[in-house]
Amino acid sequence: METPVAAPSPDSTSIFRERLLADLSRGKKTMFAILHKKLALAGLLIILVFVFMAILAPVLVGPYQSFLQLSRPMQSPSAAHPLGTDEYGKDILNILIYGSQVSLLIGFIASLVAMVVGTSVGLAAGFYGKVTDQLLSRATDFFLVIPWLPFVLVLVSVLGRGLQTIIFAIAIVSWPTTARVIRSQVLTLKERQFIERARAIGAGNFHIVRKHILPNVMPLVWAEAVLTISSAVFTEAFLSFFGLGPIGIETWGQMVNNAYNQLAILRGMWWYWAPPGIFITLVVLGFAMLGYGIEEILNPALKRGGGVA
Amino acid sequence: MNLRRYLLKKAVYVVLTVLLISSVNFFIFQVLPGDPTRVLLPKGGGSGNCTGSQTGGTSCSLRDELIAEWGLNQPVVRRYAIYMGNLLQGNLGTSITIRPGAPVTAIIFPVLSTTLVLVGLATIVTMWVGLVLGRISGWRRGSKTDVSITMTTLLGYSMPSFWVSLLLVFLLAFLIPIFPRPIGIKQSPDFFVQTANTLYYYTLPILAFMITNVAWFSLTLRNSLTDVLPEDYMVTAAAKGLNDRQQLRWHALPNARLPVVTASALYFGWVVSGVIVIETVFNINGFGLLTWTATLDQDYPVLSAVFLVATIGVVIANAVADILYMFLDPRVREA
Repeated sequence: METPVAAPSPDSTSIFRERLLADLSRGKKTMFAILHKKLALAGLLIILVFVFMAILAPVLVGPYQSFLQLSRPMQSPSAAHPLGTDEYGKDILNILIYGSQVSLLIGFIASLVAMVVGTSVGLAAGFYGKVTDQLLSRATDFFLVIPWLPFVLVLVSVLGRGLQTIIFAIAIVSWPTTARVIRSQVLTLKERQFIERARAIGAGNFHIVRKHILPNVMPLVWAEAVLTISSAVFTEAFLSFFGLGPIGIETWGQMVNNAYNQLAILRGMWWYWAPPGIFITLVVLGFAMLGYGIEEILNPALKRGGGVA
Repeated sequence: MNLRRYLLKKAVYVVLTVLLISSVNFFIFQVLPGDPTRVLLPKGGGSGNCTGSQTGGTSCSLRDELIAEWGLNQPVVRRYAIYMGNLLQGNLGTSITIRPGAPVTAIIFPVLSTTLVLVGLATIVTMWVGLVLGRISGWRRGSKTDVSITMTTLLGYSMPSFWVSLLLVFLLAFLIPIFPRPIGIKQSPDFFVQTANTLYYYTLPILAFMITNVAWFSLTLRNSLTDVLPEDYMVTAAAKGLNDRQQLRWHALPNARLPVVTASALYFGWVVSGVIVIETVFNINGFGLLTWTATLDQDYPVLSAVFLVATIGVVIANAVADILYMFLDPRVREA
C-alpha cells in the first residue's frame, strides 16, 4: 500500500484541484473496479442499443414526422401510438427514437472538438512547461471555474441556436478536464528514459511529441473522449430543456420541456416526459460506465491500494 | 509570513480572475448582431436602415439619439472602458425586456437572498447525506452496501436535474400529494407560518438537488477513506483496542475530510447550474429563475450580469475552500 501523496505546497492551488479530480474519477473508477468488466460491458451494450436505435430509426418507427396532425393531439398510449401523441398530434415514440440521432451526433462531434482542443492544450502545457504551461494552465483553470450551465446559456443565447454553435458551446465547457488529465500524464511521461534517449539521438520536439508522447497518452484520450460524450449529451439535454436546443430538431431535452409546458405532469401524462428522461440518463450513464471501464482496462495501475475487493 | 504570502497570492488571483471574467463577459456580448435599440423600439431596428421605420411610429432620430446617449456608436475599446468603469461603480447596466429601463442591480439583488437561503439549505442537506453515505460505503468498501450506495449516487449524478425535479413533483405532489405543487409558496402574514410554508415548499427542490449532487460528497469521502484505512496508524488504532466508531471518528475522518473540502470547491460550480434548473421547475423566484427568464426574454444586460455574478461567486467560493483547506491541513500550514 502506498502512502498518499506528499504534502502539497501551498503555492500551487492546482494541486488541490488535481487531487480532487483524481479523487472523483478514481472514486468512480474504484467503484467500477468492483464490477469493472461487467460494467464496461453493460455500458457498451447500452450504447450499442442507442446506436442501433439511431441507425435503424426508420425501420423501427417509420419515417420522421415533419408534419403536424392536429386532428389527434395529446392522445393516451394506444396500439397505434404506444406512447401517445404530443400537442401537435405527432407520435411520441417516433420523436423519442429519432431523438437518439441528435443526442449521439451532438455528443460525438462535441467530444471530438473538445478532445482536439483539450489534448493539444494538455500536450503543449505538459511538454513545453515554463511560461507556456503557466499560461495554458491558468486558462484551463479559468474555464474550469466558470459554472457550466450559465456559460452555455450565454454562449448559445449570443451565438444563436444553430447545431454548430451548440456543439461549439458544449466543447468550450468540456475541454478543460481533458487538458488537465493529459497535462499531468505528459508531465510524468516526459521524465521517462525513452524520451531522454530519443532526445539523445537527436529527435526534435515535434518528433518526440508526435512519435513518443502522443501514442502514450492516446489511450487516456480515448477514455476521456467517451466520458466527454457522456457530459456532452448531458449538457445538450439541459440546453434543450431551456429552449436553446437546435432549431427544427426535436431532442429529448426539448421533449421534456414541451411536456412541461403542456402541463403533462398535471395531466398525469407520464408517457410524454418520463421516457426521454430515462433515455438521457441511460445514454449518460452508458458512456460514463464505458469510459471508466476503458480507463480501468488500459491502465490497471490506476486501481491502486485501498482494499477494494 | 508564509500564510500572509499565500493569502495575498490568493487575493491577487481572485482579483485577476474577476477582471478576466468581466472582460470575457463584455466581449462575448459584443458578438450580438445589432444593438439594444432593435429590441426596444418597435420596428426601429433591422440593420440600421431608417427608410422603413416610419410605419412603426419610431423615427430614425429617436434611435440615433438613443445610440448616441448609450455610447453605442463609440469604438469597442472606448465602450469597454465605459463598461469596466460602470462595473467598478457597481453599475451592471439596464434591463431591456424584463423590466425595461430598470437598473439590473435592482433586479438581481432582491432575488439573491432567496437563492442563498435555498442553496444554503440544499447544501447542508446534500453534504450531510453525502458524508453519512460516504462514511458507510468507505468503511465497508467492497461490500454489497458499498456497491449499492455507490451505484445509487452515481445514478442520481447521471440524471438531469430538471427531470428528477419533474419526477419528484409527479410522484410526491400529484400521485401521492404529500408535498405542495410547484405553483408558488403559500403566503401568510404570520412569520412562523410563512417560514413553515417556505420550508415545506422547499422540501422537494432540496430533495431533487440532493439526489443529483450527493455523489460529490459521498464518492469523495468514500475514496479518501479508502486511501486512509489501510494506513499503519489505522492498524495501530485497531491494535490498541479502539472500537470501529472510535477508529473512524478519531483517526480516519480527520485525515479523510480534506479532499471533501476540495470537492466542495468544484461543487459550487454545479450549485449554480442546479439552482437554475430547480428554481425554474419549482417556480421559486430567485437568481436561477431570473437566469431562465433573462434567457427566454433575451434580456442580455440581465443575462450578462447574472453570468458575471454567478461566476464571481464561484471564484470566491473556490478561494475560500482553498484557504479553508490550508487551515484544516497542518502539513500545508507548516510547509
